[in-house]
Amino acid sequence: MALTELNFEFKPKDAKTLVDDWSHTGIVSSGDIEVLLEKNDSLKGAAKVHIITTVVGFDNVWETVISRFIERTGLSGVNISINDNAATPAVVIRRMQQAIANGGGLQ
Amino acid sequence: MRMIWEDLQDKSFYQATARERAFGLVDKGTFKEFLGPRDKMVSPHLLVLGEALEFDDGIVVGVGKIKKHPTFVVSQEGKYVGGALGEVNGAKMSYTLRLALETYEKMKEKYGEVPDEKKPLCIVSYDSGGVRLHEANAGLLMHSECMELFYEFQNKVPNFSLCGSTIGAYGAQGFVCMSADVVIANDYGRIGLTGPDVIQQEVGKDEFDASDRALIWRTMGARSKYILGDVDYLIKDTIGAFRNQIVDLADLPMKKISRSRHLGSPKLVEENLEVVKLAAEIKANDSKDLWKYYGNDNPDELPELPYDKFISTVKRRPRAI
Repeated sequence: MALTELNFEFKPKDAKTLVDDWSHTGIVSSGDIEVLLEKNDSLKGAAKVHIITTVVGFDNVWETVISRFIERTGLSGVNISINDNAATPAVVIRRMQQAIANGGGLQ
Repeated sequence: MRMIWEDLQDKSFYQATARERAFGLVDKGTFKEFLGPRDKMVSPHLLVLGEALEFDDGIVVGVGKIKKHPTFVVSQEGKYVGGALGEVNGAKMSYTLRLALETYEKMKEKYGEVPDEKKPLCIVSYDSGGVRLHEANAGLLMHSECMELFYEFQNKVPNFSLCGSTIGAYGAQGFVCMSADVVIANDYGRIGLTGPDVIQQEVGKDEFDASDRALIWRTMGARSKYILGDVDYLIKDTIGAFRNQIVDLADLPMKKISRSRHLGSPKLVEENLEVVKLAAEIKANDSKDLWKYYGNDNPDELPELPYDKFISTVKRRPRAI
């Protein structure tokens, strides 16, 4: 029952970055996640993703969901930290969108 | 982070997150969080046990201002591990309370006597089931530290308990909640020691039926606590209503604020025991019997009444002190 730790780095084609320095959304209740976006200028056009999840065996799903989200929105130049308690992909995408909105959107 | 203070004032206290509550309770733009999510101080125990982590460990602490008062805020998040207190979030809570006390001592050094309109305040918004069992000893220690600090707060730092979130204040947090000077709740507030499910599990369904929600609410809910005098102010369910209640009381002299205390002196213990004695004397089987004893002729209707009607008609236990 150890926690699973996942690390990814994605480079979207149409790179945009967050308006604010950082943004936080969500509470790690059952079936939910929290997302922390922190601007990092040294990541030129890339998004570094760090996920800690209670679920085992869904590494590929995480990679697909996050990479597609980043490709679609262009979110980059940020460290993305996620704590997960068995959220579904729909919840993950929704919270990511909210995190961007909480951070003033993308520019 | 973007939160609009004006919007939060009308937002339901029950539905708000811990961070929203903390942010909205103090004056606009004054809240400064200690050890926020960016500091990533997570529980080392849950990590080892493979339980989900949260960057703020389920509690929001910080300092803000209400008028001229430095205001120390603790706000618990009931959705993460039931808001239960462990080592990290417990330490965040108790150290914030300690800061309030230190601020008072420093102000006393500076002013001689701390002026009423400047004295530091302490607000705790409860949403917790008690001790986090994964780190039980550390959690219990933190509870006792908070209780000790609340004892030292007496006649120094006004201490407000807010109760009106999803979980309520249960377990050891029930104690901590009741040790405050003033207890403020909305209709969703619940205060208790042992939760309904645990009572049923330990003593049986005849003693307490945990599936009977009406029974739970009329035993532990804020309306019953308001009639019996455990809740001092029953207010509407917005963050602004809680804030206004605190603003109204903040400038009063410490003696007046602590008049509503429930614990902390032999006299108050006696007063509490009077209620226990009374319940035995009139053979009360249900909270309704006590409501009736205190002059409410319509105990069956009380839980269902609209808020305004309830507040204007209800009769409460007279306080001896």
